[in-house]
Amino acid sequence: MKKLIIAFLFISLGLFLTGCRTKEVEVPLIIYDYDDLYMQQFEELIYDNKNYNSYRFESYDSKNSQIIQNDIINDVFLDNPRVIIVNPVDRLGVYPIIEKAKEKDVPIIFINREPLKEDMYSYDQLFYVGAKPEQSAIFQADIIIDLFGGNSYYLNELDKNNDNNIQCVILKGEPGHQDAEIRTERVVQELTDRGFHIDILIIEEAYFSQEIAKEKMTDLLVEFGNTIELVISNNDAMAIGAIEVLKEEGYFVDENDNGVIDRDTETWMPVVGIDGLPIALELIDQGYLSGTVLNDSKSMALAINELTNALVTGEKLSDIMSDLEDDKYIWIDYKKYTPNDK
Amino acid sequence: MKWFKQLSIDRKLNYAVILLLSTALLFASAFIYINTYNTVDEIVEANSKEINKQIILNYENYFNDVRDLANYIELKTKEVEIANQESLHEIYSNVATLNSDTITISLVKMDGTIAATSKLNYSAYEDLTERYWFDRAIDNEEVYFFSTPHPQDVFVDSNEQVISVSKQIDYYEYSQKYSGVLLIELSTEQIDTLAKQTNLGENGHLIIISDKNQLIYSSTDKCQNSTCDSNVIARKIIIGGDFVSIDGTDMYVSINTIHGTRWRIATFINVDLIGSSKISIFFLLSTVLVVTIFISTLIASILTKQITRPLNKLKEHMTDIQHSDHLYKEVEVRGQKEVVILAAAYNEMIKEIRGLMNQLVDEQNEKRKTELIALQTQINPHFLYNTLDSIIWLSEQNDNEHVIEMVMALSRFFRISISRGKDIITIDKEIQHAKYYLKIQTIRYSNKFEYTVNVEESIKDKKVVKLILQPIIENAIHHGISTEFKGQIDISVYKKDGFIYFEVMNNGYGLTDEQIEEIYEKIQNDNHESIGLKNVVQRLKLYYGERSGIHIKSVLDESTTIQIYFPLEKG
Repeated sequence: MKKLIIAFLFISLGLFLTGCRTKEVEVPLIIYDYDDLYMQQFEELIYDNKNYNSYRFESYDSKNSQIIQNDIINDVFLDNPRVIIVNPVDRLGVYPIIEKAKEKDVPIIFINREPLKEDMYSYDQLFYVGAKPEQSAIFQADIIIDLFGGNSYYLNELDKNNDNNIQCVILKGEPGHQDAEIRTERVVQELTDRGFHIDILIIEEAYFSQEIAKEKMTDLLVEFGNTIELVISNNDAMAIGAIEVLKEEGYFVDENDNGVIDRDTETWMPVVGIDGLPIALELIDQGYLSGTVLNDSKSMALAINELTNALVTGEKLSDIMSDLEDDKYIWIDYKKYTPNDK
Repeated sequence: MKWFKQLSIDRKLNYAVILLLSTALLFASAFIYINTYNTVDEIVEANSKEINKQIILNYENYFNDVRDLANYIELKTKEVEIANQESLHEIYSNVATLNSDTITISLVKMDGTIAATSKLNYSAYEDLTERYWFDRAIDNEEVYFFSTPHPQDVFVDSNEQVISVSKQIDYYEYSQKYSGVLLIELSTEQIDTLAKQTNLGENGHLIIISDKNQLIYSSTDKCQNSTCDSNVIARKIIIGGDFVSIDGTDMYVSINTIHGTRWRIATFINVDLIGSSKISIFFLLSTVLVVTIFISTLIASILTKQITRPLNKLKEHMTDIQHSDHLYKEVEVRGQKEVVILAAAYNEMIKEIRGLMNQLVDEQNEKRKTELIALQTQINPHFLYNTLDSIIWLSEQNDNEHVIEMVMALSRFFRISISRGKDIITIDKEIQHAKYYLKIQTIRYSNKFEYTVNVEESIKDKKVVKLILQPIIENAIHHGISTEFKGQIDISVYKKDGFIYFEVMNNGYGLTDEQIEEIYEKIQNDNHESIGLKNVVQRLKLYYGERSGIHIKSVLDESTTIQIYFPLEKG
């Protein structure tokens, strides 16, 4: 009987031990919203570019709610993580997360949405991997200038009414959102600064959403019709929404059946986006979209993994490949993508 | 475990049942309690969080409206030439009128002067660049700044409590782009209204705090500055939820940020009820536990009693038999079937043993009787030999009369001795037998002694074991007759107190107490060689049991009396 009990104890102990064999470091990757196409692809890239064995990611979906994200963060802090990666829902609302991290002495890598400077400097273990938002706007302005011939004094045939002004509509993202504000402001400013006259017919807030952009674009076509010479979108999703509406309204025709849309002035309308979604790139190749600014997601994913590994293994941050500005920021440059880059 | 093995069967069964039940029930109850406890907590937590979320959504909606309003104003401001003060004033005042909680809308230039405002006739402070809302708007260009409620600080003539919402925007003056600060002053009423919309229970309240943990709004009078309990708790928790106690009230606090602002809302929801419900669950479970264990114990003890009571009865009966002679008693057992069968078998066995034992005793008695009779008759050849010698001597003397007398007495003596093989004869016969013997002996001892025989007439027909008197008389002659004086033997037979006494007294030298003791001992001791008296006593005991016996009394140099007795009814 005693032997049986001892044997039983040993077996349970064995099972218990195998149950908790040395675990890899788990790095929570807290995404603001899985419904965001770009974040889905970005997350995939982060996973794909994990070239280290020192950790593994555990993804969480904040469902575009800071309240849910707060809950997730409270939960993951219970496991005393080595580092957490946060894609904030509300960039203004990250300060309590930082306070918590400070209390627990856990480094945070913020991605995709940049917290306020004052928050970033409130704790020395905070990092941000991303692109400077104004750069995307500058690159978008570059694409627009190329599109209209590059000469501010003599615009090409896309200036349909030949007034040397670009009549445009802007599809703006969520108001108050850093990207939306900066992109909208900087693209206009850049064009203006470089001598191009921009005639903003309207700035429509479509909240970065393809669906909302579709609704708004339908209304805009009714209101402005063919006077629109250019659609500037804060991101690709809204640009795609706009293109869908334009297609439905008879725009974009492939007259010679070569698989590429012809740039006929009557049936073609330039639309520029930002983000470089794969669908957007396809649309560029097919001639629908005139260009986008690529978030160099791959470089970001690589930098995120490099930084994560360094924080997990305790490697010196000065030894990593990416440039670390102020021991906090890794800036990744945007890339332009136009039909010429096909 | 030794003590356990030594327990009685019902104790053991009871202990085992109680132990098993208590353990199982205790575990089950503990499990249920902990489970319920956690579930209650979880439900309360989930509910509280849900309420917090709803409140936050309400506030977010409100602040979104404010931001939309600000965005609209920003857009309109860009479209208008600022030099045309009138049109901007018109836009601002229209918007302010449409939104009841918007007190003023103003555009402040970088030099701190007002470019445009919704107020009609105003007198503003001179330099507004030092206002906190102005600084914050410049610091974070793209962000709307929401201030803590403070007395209005733009216009001289008012000190209404307001929340300043500020943001840096662009405007055009003479087609030249400038930066300025848009300021919207909101009444604090709406925040209050939103807070009062949700019932947070007695003493339940909410507070709004800034990113610097300053109290922006409180729905309770108990928390009016940044050092109150609620604010300290909120500062400690930062974000998330927990069970806390404020002024002795159990609360669930949950704290979250309001989207698009730097503020947090902490909701304190009264959860006193769950404390008491937990206690009542605890008491309910405890009661159920105790009652169940009690009932189970009762049932267990009744069941085990049913098995063990008949067993114990059987056991007691058996121990009883070991220590006493109650072999004849049958045990009567009711209850558990198996034990009843066992008891019946036991009774059967006892009956069998009883029969066997009786048989054995009877056989032994018979054997003993035969032996004793044989012994008794063994004396006779010796006596016969002496008597015949006497007859021969008398014949030689030609004392024919005595010869005839003696031969006749001898003949009768033997006839009664034999009595056709019967053991029991009448007292009358026994007396006659003794008289024949005395006659023979008087002749033999040529009148060396005299004798008397007194028999109570009424008992002559009573039965008696034969040949009990003669050995005593023989003993009396033997020890009582002396050559020095004439012997006297008095025999009396009488009844007294339900007993019949045979008494033989002689006038010999008598016996000392020690000698009497010795005789008693000889009679009692089995191993001692047989004497006549012993034989008589043994036979009496065989026939009459312990109520019969012998008495020896003696007065030295005077007389010795031997008395035998036995119960009358047996005779």
